[in-house]
Amino acid sequence: MNHRDDFPIFKNRPELIYFDNGATAQRPQSVLDAEQKFYTTYNSNIHRGPNFLAEEATIAYEDARRKVADFLGAHHKHEIIFTRNATEAINLVARTFGETLQAQDVILLSKLEHHSNIVPWLQLAERKDLEIKYMGLSTDWRVRFDPALFDERVKLVAITGMSNVLGTITDLKPIIKAAHAVGAKVLVDAAQLAVHEPINVHDLDADFLVVTGHKIYGPTGIGVLYGKEGLLNSMPPFLGGGDMISAVFADRFIPAALPSKYEAGTPNIAGAIGLGAAIDYMTKLGFKNIQKSEHELGTYLLKQLQSLSFVKIVGPETMDHRGSVVSFTVDGVHPHDVADGLSSKGICIRAGFHCAQPLMDHLKLSGTARMSLNFYNTKEEIDKGISTLEEIYKYFNK
Amino acid sequence: MDLYAQNILDRFKHPFHKDKSVKSDLQNQEANYSCGDKVESKLETKGEKLIKYSFSGEGCAISQASADILGDLVEGKTLDEVLAMGKDELFEALGIDISLRRSQCALLGLLTLQNAILKSRNEPMRTWNHFT
Ligand SMILES: Cc1ncc(COP(=O)(O)O)c(C=O)c1O
Repeated sequence: MNHRDDFPIFKNRPELIYFDNGATAQRPQSVLDAEQKFYTTYNSNIHRGPNFLAEEATIAYEDARRKVADFLGAHHKHEIIFTRNATEAINLVARTFGETLQAQDVILLSKLEHHSNIVPWLQLAERKDLEIKYMGLSTDWRVRFDPALFDERVKLVAITGMSNVLGTITDLKPIIKAAHAVGAKVLVDAAQLAVHEPINVHDLDADFLVVTGHKIYGPTGIGVLYGKEGLLNSMPPFLGGGDMISAVFADRFIPAALPSKYEAGTPNIAGAIGLGAAIDYMTKLGFKNIQKSEHELGTYLLKQLQSLSFVKIVGPETMDHRGSVVSFTVDGVHPHDVADGLSSKGICIRAGFHCAQPLMDHLKLSGTARMSLNFYNTKEEIDKGISTLEEIYKYFNK
Repeated sequence: MDLYAQNILDRFKHPFHKDKSVKSDLQNQEANYSCGDKVESKLETKGEKLIKYSFSGEGCAISQASADILGDLVEGKTLDEVLAMGKDELFEALGIDISLRRSQCALLGLLTLQNAILKSRNEPMRTWNHFT
């Protein structure tokens, strides 16, 4: 599958080897065109002006919402709330649904969470005197489903669909079932998952699910909260302001209906339209093709890394239940120096804690180097990465 | 591969000031949590003078070499002189260009040291912003 040419950055920087897709993906031309077209041909605010231009912008914005709903398998378009990113979507739930929790209630997380799915809950726990508990890791580096942790005190389970450090994919269904059996709601952080695997919120029976646009080829500054209609209706509003109200009086207001209720102020219109184009792009390629290609690349990367005696893979060594996001350490070389060495040869990776300090503490690691591949990467790039790793190792151990 | 100047690699592998036993009159520990670098510094003082410096820690070559080279600069200075040190003096001693992405690594030792002094004086400790 060769779709590299769809991405202008690879034309502008032909030497670039980009293995940092877990941090953010590159953008295809069609996404840039969609944003540009909005600004150059029908730029206007939405839901406001009674004029044809505002109408066109509103239609495009709402069309993007429909695309997201289809992409995630949501029943209703108004179950999709646009946010700035995944982080804001999680905070939205913490500040609305979270406000309905009582002292001593439990929020269940996992050791694999990104800081953005930990800190909002720690903040909430402090405000409401809640208890935070963690599911551990299984022997195959995934979230360990421990039924003993599920009891009536648990009100929310917030878990990642895919670890941004280990690349492992969570077996969500048993966890969601167990949560529902004790009356708890479930939030799935699909920030990493959504670019690698098709998602169906309905099939999962997730109550909330968050996605961030920039990791699925969309623009930065646009993210998504999916929430079940009944829940979104029952929760208090989030930010107050224009667009989120249906009526305002001197002493009170009536919130707007979904989805506007949670979208105060002028949203990232161009971003939402760009995200719609990104979803069109992925749909056109087809998840089957994307997955096949990433499976091949991941398998090859794991094999090549294993061939280096001085490299330790942190995570599973096969592509079972994992995506093409691979963490590793290099003997005697700090991950930051690994990243600098690769960077000096035009190769971008991420190194450090990956916003997952509790996981690093749990694994007793002071960071990892991470290569995260998307379908547009190539085996030749992996070869270059591997030979550069050999050079780095020699340089530090000469 | 020619990643860092030889002095950085040398001081990373064979530090002068690392894990020395000094009478630790002042001590402090800081970490760069985004990448996992840690430095703990111990200072022996005589009156207002810093006479011996030692550090322990783990992290990338730049953070550890820089914390080590820092020792060459500060031994013999007064505590106020140490507090007045800015990043230019340290970066000049490192002798390499420090990119924006590595400047926190390079400054970790200095931040840890200066905060050891401020802590002993019950004065507010510094953050990275102090150096920008
Ligand atoms: C698993 C996971 N959750 C959440 C996030 C946060 O995404 P954003 O920074 O776009 O809000 C990330 C991205 O770094 C992630 O990898």
